[in-house]
Amino acid sequence: MKRSKLLLSALLAVLLLSCGRPYDVRPAGPGTDRDSFIFPDYTDVTIPPNIAPLNFYYTDPEGKEFTTHIFANGRAIAFKGREVVWKEKIWREWLAAAAGADITVESAWSSGGARQFRRWTLHIAQDRIDPYLTYRLIEPGFEVWDDLEIQERNLESFSVRVISDWRHTGNKCMNCHIHSQGRGDLSMFYLRGEGGGAILNRGGELRKLTLKNDTMISPTVYGEIHPDGRYGVFSTNIIIPAMHSEGGRRMEVFDTASDLCVADFDGKRMLTFPETSREDVFETFPVFSADGNFVYYCAAPAHPLPADLYQTMYSLVRIPFDAATGTLGDPADTVWSATKRAASVCHPKTSPNGRWLLFTVAAYGTFPINHSECDLCLMDLSDGSIMDMRAVNAEKSDTYHSWSSDGTWFVFASKRGDGLYGKPYFSHVAPDGTVTKPFLLPQKNPHYYDTMLRSFNVPDLGNAPVGFDAATIGKVWKEMPAESFE
Amino acid sequence: MSRKGRRILWIVLAAVLFAAVGSQCAFLLRHPYFRKYAALNGISLREARDVWGKPDRDAEQILGMIVEADAENWEKVSELAARKDLRSEVGTYYYNLSNAMLGRLPDRLMDYYQPFERGLFLPVGPSSTPFKIACAGDVWFQLGYMPLAERDAMLGLLFSPEHNGSRYLRRLAETNLVTGEHEAAAKYLRMLLNGSRADRKWARACFPENWSQPYRLRIAEKRNLMPQFDLVHGMDQTPLILRILLSANQTNRMALDYLLCYDLLTKDIDAFVGDFDPSLTRSPLYEEAMLIFLAAKGGMNAENFAHYHISEASFQRFNRFVTIYKRDGGSGRNLTEEFGKSYWYYYYYAVKNETK
Repeated sequence: MKRSKLLLSALLAVLLLSCGRPYDVRPAGPGTDRDSFIFPDYTDVTIPPNIAPLNFYYTDPEGKEFTTHIFANGRAIAFKGREVVWKEKIWREWLAAAAGADITVESAWSSGGARQFRRWTLHIAQDRIDPYLTYRLIEPGFEVWDDLEIQERNLESFSVRVISDWRHTGNKCMNCHIHSQGRGDLSMFYLRGEGGGAILNRGGELRKLTLKNDTMISPTVYGEIHPDGRYGVFSTNIIIPAMHSEGGRRMEVFDTASDLCVADFDGKRMLTFPETSREDVFETFPVFSADGNFVYYCAAPAHPLPADLYQTMYSLVRIPFDAATGTLGDPADTVWSATKRAASVCHPKTSPNGRWLLFTVAAYGTFPINHSECDLCLMDLSDGSIMDMRAVNAEKSDTYHSWSSDGTWFVFASKRGDGLYGKPYFSHVAPDGTVTKPFLLPQKNPHYYDTMLRSFNVPDLGNAPVGFDAATIGKVWKEMPAESFE
Repeated sequence: MSRKGRRILWIVLAAVLFAAVGSQCAFLLRHPYFRKYAALNGISLREARDVWGKPDRDAEQILGMIVEADAENWEKVSELAARKDLRSEVGTYYYNLSNAMLGRLPDRLMDYYQPFERGLFLPVGPSSTPFKIACAGDVWFQLGYMPLAERDAMLGLLFSPEHNGSRYLRRLAETNLVTGEHEAAAKYLRMLLNGSRADRKWARACFPENWSQPYRLRIAEKRNLMPQFDLVHGMDQTPLILRILLSANQTNRMALDYLLCYDLLTKDIDAFVGDFDPSLTRSPLYEEAMLIFLAAKGGMNAENFAHYHISEASFQRFNRFVTIYKRDGGSGRNLTEEFGKSYWYYYYYAVKNETK
């Protein structure tokens, strides 16, 4: 009997040890990447009524006896412990009950011998968000890859689907996936290297395209599909990677030449135009207006680089597009002048409802992801006015944004916090241009981002799942010949 | 089963267990650094054997140099290098790094296999192996150039089997502590706090509020080496980076020696003369290089000898080298024994093997 007890005790001890230690949440507080009392910082954010549970944890390393009381519309629920993790079904009920209203949260815990208390709210918007988000997971910053994958996350739950990955494509490089105006049935991305090409998804039909002809300085790089689906507008870029000598500024990328072109997906031809192929001007990041009648892009006078990097600033310009012939007209109008503002524009994106133009502003150049000064800027296209974005921007790089298909939500990759890893944040835009404090993509495990060592690159919203997966892309890579363009 | 049968079964099982444990112990005794290297990469011994295979004696020596360099035991790295000249880029890279850390890079440079500049800086590019990339940042960290130290640690992490090796996380934490980006450092320190006991201890000591006086000094010394201005440069502009470091801190003797040795190993004597300031560093190696330059450009006089600290003995030795060289019509066969470890011999006879 005595021996049995001893054995039982030993077994229990082993079991307890194997349960592991709780997460160590240090370091936290001012000067760290966890400066709010909860992580993610969901205090006073506005969220869509169809978002997955906003699980979080308390960051106070010395804290204990955590209690979280939540109230809305006469309902109440309580959580105990450092981690607050919702059951999905209960969360959905709460969101449905509180749509258009607020959820109030009371946080309390003991720390340093005193009881701490915070009251905060979650504002539930009426506008739903497109339920799908695609992004590429990649280590930050140095244009080197291993084990790349593009995922599609269902924002209404925690389910994730891999839509292209290294396993099926011989560990090839792949660039980010973009929807046209948030449409799941109209999207594209690039598979680079042998067997690769631009993968075009039109209504679930996949094509592999070589978007290059002899007159172009490079294959296509940045771009977007026209709302009608027949054309795409792209930049061609000679891209040079470089490093800053000052610690913390890391990698810089610049173009020594760049032009625009139009791809006619049905006619299998590439169209170039004198106005957007000038040697004395760098042109890049083209996108269509919501109605497809204009192309917005960034343009800068050509400079010798990297010598004049700090003087290279891109303006935002607009040029007519004729969807009947696929041609870019001229002249280009300057929408936002780099000369006047002494800053540089990147990544313009028009909202599918035609109302807004969201773009990135950095001090110089064309690669803002390592620029801590880089912020998002929102223009009202009805009158050209610039909205107040202080609620959105942080002290680290905010860029690579995209719109939901109704133009009421946008997502962007922000390096706020650690300054290294891009994470998707969502913000709501009201009809009067009021933007809300962004919230971080929720995860089932609130400590998910603590150990995440990859950036969410180019998060892009979609109103429906794309009709393919990694295995299909693997077949396209292996078996489908790339269509050449004239 | 009979009692006897059970006994035999137990004996067989015990023998199998004993053999397995014995084999593991024997492996660990023969390859202590392999296990430590695996641990630095965040994987178990078994996983390491699956990924990298069983190491031979040479691999164990290289891994030893990496592990000891990671702990900054430079004498030990040097001692391991002395066991055998492995004639490998990584082996020479750590041999040179340990000598630089011990203040004797130029004095020992010619004693070892030198695969041109690749023994000073491991190239990071499309044809580089993940193993070399993972090592490439060590020299940049010691030189005080955090942008490339961080880049190479990031790439090391990217190519490590589980993408979470503590070797890289610690380097990433420390480069950001040096540059003052404590938010970024916090990310890695938190990950290490949830790692092994050794990692937890290391991470706790790195919290700025916990810095000991020696650690505070270490960070201050590294900060003192960092460039004070920003210049955008290509990824492979090594001499330019070293000159940036020197313009920030003229007393960065390690950067100066690396620059001069880089010039010499690439046989760029003109660059060497341009970079060489005899008031800042001296070595028989530099005397030998200057004699080549002065002999070619016509400056073999007492004034130059005094300025460049060229001794009479070096001058006489150079004359002897030249005499034999001319007598044998440029053949090195009678020079190898006496001058095989001189810069003159390297300069005239070392041939770059581009396939390696």
